[in-house]
Amino acid sequence: MRSFDAEVVDTDRLYGSTHILWFRPRPLMDRARPGQFAMAYCGEGADPLLGRAMSVHRLREGRDGREFSFLFDVTGRGTEWLSRRRAGDSVRLVGPLGRGFEPRARVQRMLLVGGGIGVAPLVWLADELAAEGREVTLVLGGRGEPQIFPPHLLPPAVEVVVTTEDGSLGERGRVTAPFERLLPWCDQAFACGPDPMFEALYRVARDSGLRKPVQGLLEARMACGVGICYSCAVFPRRGGVKLVCTDGPMFDLRDLY
Amino acid sequence: MDLSVNLAPHHKVELRLRNPVMTGSGTSSNGVELAKHYDVEQLGALVSKGTTLRPRRGNPTPRTVETPAGMINSIGFQNIGVNALIQQVAPIWEQWTVPAIVNIMGDTLEEYGLLAARLDGIPGVAGLEVNISCPNVEVGGLEFGQDPELAVDVVREVARNTSLPYLVKLTPSVADIRPVAEAVALAGAHALTVSNTIPALAIDVKRRRPALANVFGGLSGPAVKPIALRNVYLAASVVDIPVVASGGIMSGEDALEFIMAGATAVQVGTATFLDPEAPWRIVRELTAWCETEGVARLDDVRGAARRRD
Repeated sequence: MRSFDAEVVDTDRLYGSTHILWFRPRPLMDRARPGQFAMAYCGEGADPLLGRAMSVHRLREGRDGREFSFLFDVTGRGTEWLSRRRAGDSVRLVGPLGRGFEPRARVQRMLLVGGGIGVAPLVWLADELAAEGREVTLVLGGRGEPQIFPPHLLPPAVEVVVTTEDGSLGERGRVTAPFERLLPWCDQAFACGPDPMFEALYRVARDSGLRKPVQGLLEARMACGVGICYSCAVFPRRGGVKLVCTDGPMFDLRDLY
Repeated sequence: MDLSVNLAPHHKVELRLRNPVMTGSGTSSNGVELAKHYDVEQLGALVSKGTTLRPRRGNPTPRTVETPAGMINSIGFQNIGVNALIQQVAPIWEQWTVPAIVNIMGDTLEEYGLLAARLDGIPGVAGLEVNISCPNVEVGGLEFGQDPELAVDVVREVARNTSLPYLVKLTPSVADIRPVAEAVALAGAHALTVSNTIPALAIDVKRRRPALANVFGGLSGPAVKPIALRNVYLAASVVDIPVVASGGIMSGEDALEFIMAGATAVQVGTATFLDPEAPWRIVRELTAWCETEGVARLDDVRGAARRRD
């Protein structure tokens, strides 16, 4: 949990209005695991003031070691600033933070479900699981084709199922349909997307009676990312209060709903 | 170079800080999280999350929103309650030499007394900060801080129930901070914290509703610094107890502005959200400034910017 400047090595509008930023290797980030995030501080000086929580999207071998990246949509001043970074610019980060995905050791069939930009952390997870020789199916959902991560950028071993609400690519509808279909096949499931998606997935998993573990990576508004501001509270149905930044962002959906 | 300060010079138990940089209440939890990563012994003091008699879950989300050079929060006193604090956190503080100060918040006069009594004599607790200025609770909090007579009642209730040194945290939501500062000091407070967040509102135009679930919240960050600076200057002009500054302190230079306005110590709050190491960096920047300027003691520059009458 240190603040450091990360140098941008590469940047691209990868698809639709979704950008990718690649950073030069930083020893701190070598400790990161899929599902962990960093706070990215945007702009110069105190405005915008707060960091943006960005999950690590993917790693690649660069000239000087393992480069890491963020995948994001422009939704406000901070991400707009990030989208204008170019090679050689630097971004102050604090990370890696939070509790990431926890794939079980001796299971084979992994189902990954990403809603919209929620695909960002799942790509790294898919890369790792495929490299370990596990069977990976990644369900990608979005409003339309421009919101779908290009399947050709994924490892060939990863099976991809696409759903769009407008039917412009893949199946028309939401990720819940393929999730329900594939749940009996999988040993463990992982999801990232908007809150209503988690609730829908939880219902499907519960109603299936299969007791399959589903890990959700939550997104929440954070001021600090390190467990001291108490902005990112979630209230599990069974009571109490948890912080997305330090108790999560990965939660077993059964512990929330 | 001696950067140490005593926040309770008029009390039999001193509250000695090795330097004037403290954490601000509600911006570093109870110090335990930061202590996993940084050396807390390098700070002047830690101030706990606002602590109430019973645990609280806090307000619904969204609880914070970014505003120009600032943020508005309405956390609503999510905290583990004073009993859990005593059982789980105070034993950790006891192992540290850095003083830990518990920020207490009551709904009623009686609750302030009960909180003070519970914390009196607890190993690990070096002092109290009496919060009479929180804008994010429905009862108590702010209203105690806006009326000098009610503020004095709280101070007397706390004083009756503890031998610990205590600071009283004032609100900027008054026409003039001097009457309440003066009244609280006369009633026996050992130090003042000036000040808390400023009640504020942000609207989410896209959703056509307030940005925060609780509608209103408290504004903090660099946006409030000039207001806090004026309040510190004014409060320090009417009291002879230490004034601890709080409001948008992001750097050693900001801390110096407050010290030159008359502050004895400073609290780093929102800055810690941007960089968890901010309080430590501010200690380093203050120390470096004193070395460069040949300042041996902060007393030599304290109040330097005040008008001499």
